[in-house]
Amino acid sequence: MRRGVLTAIDGVSFDIGRGEILGVVGESGAGKSVTGAAIIGLVDPPGRVTGGEVRLAGERIDGLSEEEMRQVRGCRIGMIFQDPLTSLNPLFSVGDQLVETMRSHLDLSAGEARRRALALLVEVGIPAAEERIGAYPHEFSGGMRQRVVIALALCAEPELVIADEPTTALDVSVQAQILALIKRLCRDRGTAVMLVTHDMGVVAHTADRIAVMYAGRLAEVGPVSDLINHPLHPYAAGLMGAIPSLEQDASRLVRIPGAMPRLSGIPEGCAFHPRCPHAFDPCTAQRPPLIEGGGRQVACHLYERPSEAEQ
Amino acid sequence: MNGEPVVQVRGVSRHFDVSRPWLTRVFAGEPRRQLKAVRDVTFEVERAQTFGLVGESGSGKTTVARMVVGLLPPTAGSIRIDGVSLTAPGPPADRQRLRRRIHMVFQDPYASLNPRWRIERIIAEPIRAFGLAHSNEVATERVNELLSLVGLHAADRSRFPHEFSGGQRQRVAIARALASSAEFIVCDEPTSALDVSVQAQILNLMRDLQERFGLTYLLISHDLAVVRHMADRIGVMYLGRVVEIGNARALFRTPRHPYTRMLLDAVPDISTRGRPDPDIAGEIPSPIAPPPGCAFHPRCPFAHERCRNEVPALLDGVACHAVHEGRPAA
Repeated sequence: MRRGVLTAIDGVSFDIGRGEILGVVGESGAGKSVTGAAIIGLVDPPGRVTGGEVRLAGERIDGLSEEEMRQVRGCRIGMIFQDPLTSLNPLFSVGDQLVETMRSHLDLSAGEARRRALALLVEVGIPAAEERIGAYPHEFSGGMRQRVVIALALCAEPELVIADEPTTALDVSVQAQILALIKRLCRDRGTAVMLVTHDMGVVAHTADRIAVMYAGRLAEVGPVSDLINHPLHPYAAGLMGAIPSLEQDASRLVRIPGAMPRLSGIPEGCAFHPRCPHAFDPCTAQRPPLIEGGGRQVACHLYERPSEAEQ
Repeated sequence: MNGEPVVQVRGVSRHFDVSRPWLTRVFAGEPRRQLKAVRDVTFEVERAQTFGLVGESGSGKTTVARMVVGLLPPTAGSIRIDGVSLTAPGPPADRQRLRRRIHMVFQDPYASLNPRWRIERIIAEPIRAFGLAHSNEVATERVNELLSLVGLHAADRSRFPHEFSGGQRQRVAIARALASSAEFIVCDEPTSALDVSVQAQILNLMRDLQERFGLTYLLISHDLAVVRHMADRIGVMYLGRVVEIGNARALFRTPRHPYTRMLLDAVPDISTRGRPDPDIAGEIPSPIAPPPGCAFHPRCPFAHERCRNEVPALLDGVACHAVHEGRPAA
């Protein structure tokens, strides 16, 4: 048996503005889902948050009691998960679930809540919403279920929505519809969105800013166009080159040697250095700090000197 | 288009019986139900080329793959590999020879390797099954050679599958496919369980091996970018039928079938960032009760009366009444 403490995410800091979509990307084991779970206080035991703070609209929410946190979740933070069936109760009709969620967080009469539930189902694009409000989750297709989950996440008018791989289980034609829906609804309502995904294409089309995670740490944060066209961090650059594209021809894809380290064996210094083509002395010894400049942040020793000179 | 076809699939269909139990049917007065997973599919794969089959869930692409390797018999139609029929009864020796030359790489590298076998035994199984090595030393040497071919170490021989990552397991699966000197490899979503950086490694490996040994691939994937990257020719499937087939570049540059166009619009690709959100309607209908006529007509912006009644034939690489009639469809 192995014992000891594993650090799944380490010193991750970012902020999301109102109406902004932050895409958190990384490969499996990068710590993106744990980051989302830490924000909403749902880290599965024996895991726990050992340091740092989470602020929602300026107010700290990381030290709240379980009861207070439950109010925050669902009311001020909505959640959309990969599998819509994990968010929906199979024993209640979708209308009842929406009404119950709204009434437990907002002061509404039953009739008013029902009216709003119906309006919301229409807004997320459920055809014949009037007839389907009484239907049960199993009576909907995968794409329609995810629409219901989006309605459920937004019904209490949250300030933040955490979408963890919301379209990974869906076919591309349905994925495009769901992404457009999330984008439109959150823009209209000024809801901040944290979109967690492994799919660079999805964030490229949906997010305003991207945070690239590697081995539980932030590698690079920046506006979408900068990060995709001119990635700074060697890992981000490798990731972009590794993706086959629909437009550009490449006979060979950029190959990042090796694989993401296990949590029990995160390398000293920069976690990426054993796979990095540019690694030099400080990378093996010192962990690179997140350097800021020009609205972008990157954690890489390559950029230390120049960015200091610029400032 | 210059090579000879290795694989010829002609008018292949596969139906599955999805009826409920007999007694239930009797009480409920229900008829038998058939799922027509694949209907009248025809294509060829040329030597040393990659044929990509794309489609969303329920399109029947995996069923086609399973029929091509002989895991499932087709309900109708014929499959010939190097001129030898997989479907018609023939001399057993012919088929034994044939089987040696076809191999399959599955989607889930966690399920396709026997967890109780060492890598050595997994890779050597086809060598032993086809009697390709006359002594253990020769077999061992061959395993070492295969391991280094796919980028693993000879020392990995004595390890078990659980000691490897997903990407490494997929390398083992590829080594096993090559062990019997297979020339034709069917890859069913070989990288969809892998991370992008690992996916790139596997796709590059597949290409290198293809160049080196002149391998022929049938690549099944839902990921259009992967198929575009790998395939010479592509077939697009929708609800059991091939709706468009053609040269990979041409198909991506000027997609003709409305479904292919919709699919290409729907893919979020980093190179097409900033284009307006695609206007896509509807979802894939159930393959148990597909729409009559052209199965895509309820979602098609160009559908008219004929599309609702008559199944379009695959003519000149595309199965669409609107394209055939030269109707404005752009």
